[in-house]
Amino acid sequence: MATVEKTLEDIEQDAIDALQKRTRTRSRIVYSVLGALSFIAVWAFFSAFVFEPFILPSPGRVLIEMWELTISGAVFVNFASSFLKTMAGWAMAFAIGIPIGLLMGRYRYARAFFHDFVYIFANVPLLVYAVIALIVFGISPWGPAFVVALEAYTGIALNTAAGVESVDRGLLSMSRSFRRSSRQTLRSVVVPSVVPFLFASGRVSFANSWKLAALAETFGGYLGVGYQLEKSFQVYSVVSLLAWMFFFVIFVILVERFLITPAERRVFAWRDPASVRQEQT
Amino acid sequence: MSGSVADVRSGLPAEVADLLAPPARPWWKWAVSDRAARYTARIMFLLIWQWAGTVFDDIPTPLSTVEFLIEEFRAGEVWPNVAISVIRATIGLAFVLVFGVAIGIAMARWWRVRYFLTDLILVGITLPAFIWALLVVMWWGFSNIGPIAVCIVSATPQLVVNTFQGATATPGKLLSMSDAYRVKNRRQFRWLVIPSMAEYIAAGYRSAILAGWGAVLLVEWFGNDKGVGFRAHYWYDARSFDGMMAWGLVMMLIILAFDRLVMDRVVTHFRRWRIGGQQWS
Repeated sequence: MATVEKTLEDIEQDAIDALQKRTRTRSRIVYSVLGALSFIAVWAFFSAFVFEPFILPSPGRVLIEMWELTISGAVFVNFASSFLKTMAGWAMAFAIGIPIGLLMGRYRYARAFFHDFVYIFANVPLLVYAVIALIVFGISPWGPAFVVALEAYTGIALNTAAGVESVDRGLLSMSRSFRRSSRQTLRSVVVPSVVPFLFASGRVSFANSWKLAALAETFGGYLGVGYQLEKSFQVYSVVSLLAWMFFFVIFVILVERFLITPAERRVFAWRDPASVRQEQT
Repeated sequence: MSGSVADVRSGLPAEVADLLAPPARPWWKWAVSDRAARYTARIMFLLIWQWAGTVFDDIPTPLSTVEFLIEEFRAGEVWPNVAISVIRATIGLAFVLVFGVAIGIAMARWWRVRYFLTDLILVGITLPAFIWALLVVMWWGFSNIGPIAVCIVSATPQLVVNTFQGATATPGKLLSMSDAYRVKNRRQFRWLVIPSMAEYIAAGYRSAILAGWGAVLLVEWFGNDKGVGFRAHYWYDARSFDGMMAWGLVMMLIILAFDRLVMDRVVTHFRRWRIGGQQWS
């Protein structure tokens, strides 16, 4: 019975807090809707009164185009193609990045050895990657996947290394005194501290990899979002370019909301969320 | 420093001087030093590249790339194009600094502005620069506005996010302590708010520079008659892989040199007051 001993003031305060929170979320929604609407309004104004429709088509026209692309199924085919390439690249990036990161976190020599590789590959302009994909692979789905791997492994390696360095020394020596095998230590001590760091990097690099995959497709692709964008550019169709552009945004936000965030919540479930956020920055 | 130590040592009796002498380094130690590791990595990279170039006919070797670049220097194509691209990027990035910091601070200061802009900034981050590049080329054709506009549009959201983080990351405890000791607002701003924000802004501007430079290159590639990106596209049209690789190298060298020689020092300068931060770059 002792658990629900609340004074009248407490209850009152809770009610006030809840009310304020609700108005706050409501006005928050109002303002974000307002932001999106004002953007669309400015666009509609310019397309109606300032520019010709073939230069800047109206929002409604783009929406119709998006609807048609959805019905014909072109959206799904092309996004699936780009998504597969990105994921293939990511799989390769993990395969390269995690061993390098483990070595970098553990050995000073490896850290110095891989330093330049990681630094340079992280700072190459995306255009150069796209050109490399074209040179090495020509017109092929492997080009985008390959350069995505080259670009994404840097973040994975750096964050794995930071994760290895962050492993609690106390826990390590405790596992040693309790004679745990190194495999057990790796599984229950090292991996749980490294994985949150991997997520921190994955979040940023997913958007980037996705952009790179699409860009590489505009150069040497025959299917995929980037290829569709390039095609709209070649036939000078601003409408379909804008339509694909909005699909692009929608897709990235969907993946972020429904794939990365839930997975992240699951992985972080055992830790205090505030401390993780601090370690990221 | 070492000279002064030696001076002190020379004035001492022989037994004491021996004790003070640094321990002798085994002759093989230099092979595992950081410097040796870095050079080993660089040489290995060049060797692998050369090997790939000789095995696969399409891939240019480092030697042929450098030879091609020397030819371009002889033809007088390098400096004018580099200058034009760098000027475009500089103008664009100057705007990015002003807009990014202003919007970031406004978002942190007024919650209405924050909710109004959050979604738009998110969309801005997800949109790849090359879509803007295609749009801008269709709108303005060959011009100076195109590269500068895309540079601003694609690099600003990144800086906004970092500035916003910095503005909300001012240590609250220090602020309330300053209040308790009646430190004037202006002094608080100068010695607390600005130093804690500067670090974030510098880091954000660093990534904004990478994004902005990439954006300028992309617009030049897709539709321009001057600049580094244009020159790379020129050789793309001529089906010269050596030419594309050579100009890709130029693009990389410029951004790497600037990042290493300027931005690295700027970022270190602004975070020098933070003790014990792990640096993984």
